[in-house]
Amino acid sequence: MPKKKKIAVYSATGCRGCDQALMDIHYQVGSLTRGAEMVFWPYLLGSQWKDLEDQTELEVCFFSGAIRTEGDLQAALKLRQKSRLLIACGACAAYGGLPGLFNLNFIQGRGEREEKKEPGIPKRPEEGLVPPLPQLESKISALPQVVETDYLVPGCAPRQNFLWAAIQAFIYEGESSQRLSFSAFRLPENIAQAVVSGIRPPQGSIFSGDKAVCASCSRTKEKKQFQQFNRSWEKNPEPGRCLLEQGFFCQGIVTREGCGGLCTAVGLPCRGCFGKTDEVFDPGPKMISAVSSTIDSADPATLSAMADQFVDLAGTIYRYTLASQCALLV
Amino acid sequence: MNDFEPKILAFLCNWCSYVAADAAGVSRLQQRPNVRIIRVFCSGMVDPSYVFKAFSLGADGVLVAGCHPGDCHYISGNIKALRRSFLLKNLLIELGQEKGRFRLEWIAASEPQRYVKVIEQMVEEVRQLGPNPRRRSQQSA
Repeated sequence: MPKKKKIAVYSATGCRGCDQALMDIHYQVGSLTRGAEMVFWPYLLGSQWKDLEDQTELEVCFFSGAIRTEGDLQAALKLRQKSRLLIACGACAAYGGLPGLFNLNFIQGRGEREEKKEPGIPKRPEEGLVPPLPQLESKISALPQVVETDYLVPGCAPRQNFLWAAIQAFIYEGESSQRLSFSAFRLPENIAQAVVSGIRPPQGSIFSGDKAVCASCSRTKEKKQFQQFNRSWEKNPEPGRCLLEQGFFCQGIVTREGCGGLCTAVGLPCRGCFGKTDEVFDPGPKMISAVSSTIDSADPATLSAMADQFVDLAGTIYRYTLASQCALLV
Repeated sequence: MNDFEPKILAFLCNWCSYVAADAAGVSRLQQRPNVRIIRVFCSGMVDPSYVFKAFSLGADGVLVAGCHPGDCHYISGNIKALRRSFLLKNLLIELGQEKGRFRLEWIAASEPQRYVKVIEQMVEEVRQLGPNPRRRSQQSA
């Protein structure tokens, strides 16, 4: 057995769901420590900043969470400097995620916060009473927007098979014989072959499928149009029929595949946590095009009324990707 | 009056609006020089992504013009453009591109005067709005 590789796992602004996901890799979690030595994992081991500074070089860093505070940025820079491979893990690190929706505040006419250096804080509490709030960056960024990032593992949270594929590719380098088929499952052919044969996938690879979610969704399209737009709590979807065609705002059509259509299978419209596919310029207009084509009307007044039924378009379409994939805000 | 000259990108359909723009030139109607025209085969082929890309690259306004409803060379292409336009307008407003920067108009081949008028109205409206908010924020940054 070759020497154990030093790895770090860090969560910036996020929910720590990605740290959980790293421990949720089924039976493989037992063999994780066989190839890896965790030297810095604040969430699980309570590591301190000093533990990171003591290390000269790390092999792999799984970085999750968006860059929001000064501390997040410092951690990103330090981890980039120390790690040979930096992997953005989860939708927040890869695309900005839910915290990235904050950037909507920079739009004029959406409150008066845009000029302030510390957006979102009503008032600083008195010194000494409460621990000071961290210094905030003026805008929320995804990890690739602040440092060079080697690989992306998208998803909220990332799927086990992709995390395991990343672990296999970068920690075991193909030397673990465990469940190769599991990890190569749903990856594009070139990445899957690289993972299985122990060579690194091309830099910048995204650990997910390369088609749209519709490719693996179990529902069927019938070219039917709807007259009433529904939010997911307003109506029970009919089984087996495309959600978009039933009037739900399902984003599978612009979103990367890889999840296997998990949400759509149980009747929840896709929310786009894997980010856009390569063929899509910007998920917003593409989604608009898709939804509009399923509206059954040609009368301007009806169309206008229907368009106004859609609440918070920007927040819905760019739920996970506003910080990095909205062409008008990047 | 401010001296800001807006740049407007116009997607004109090959069968009606582009012919109208052509006729406006041939009949020597006085026109605003703020328009950059892209000829497309139908207003229905103007994907909302094109509009987004135009705004993201700094256009101050985008005009999509096609045949009147019922006159489309491809039967219903302009209806497709109409369907998309409402949600597109809403999303553009939510992302900070004010109302009036995006416009969908029907201009028949026989209406060069109308073409000139639409451009004139739009230029004035966008002039009042000022430069594309993206360019404004880049300048201040």
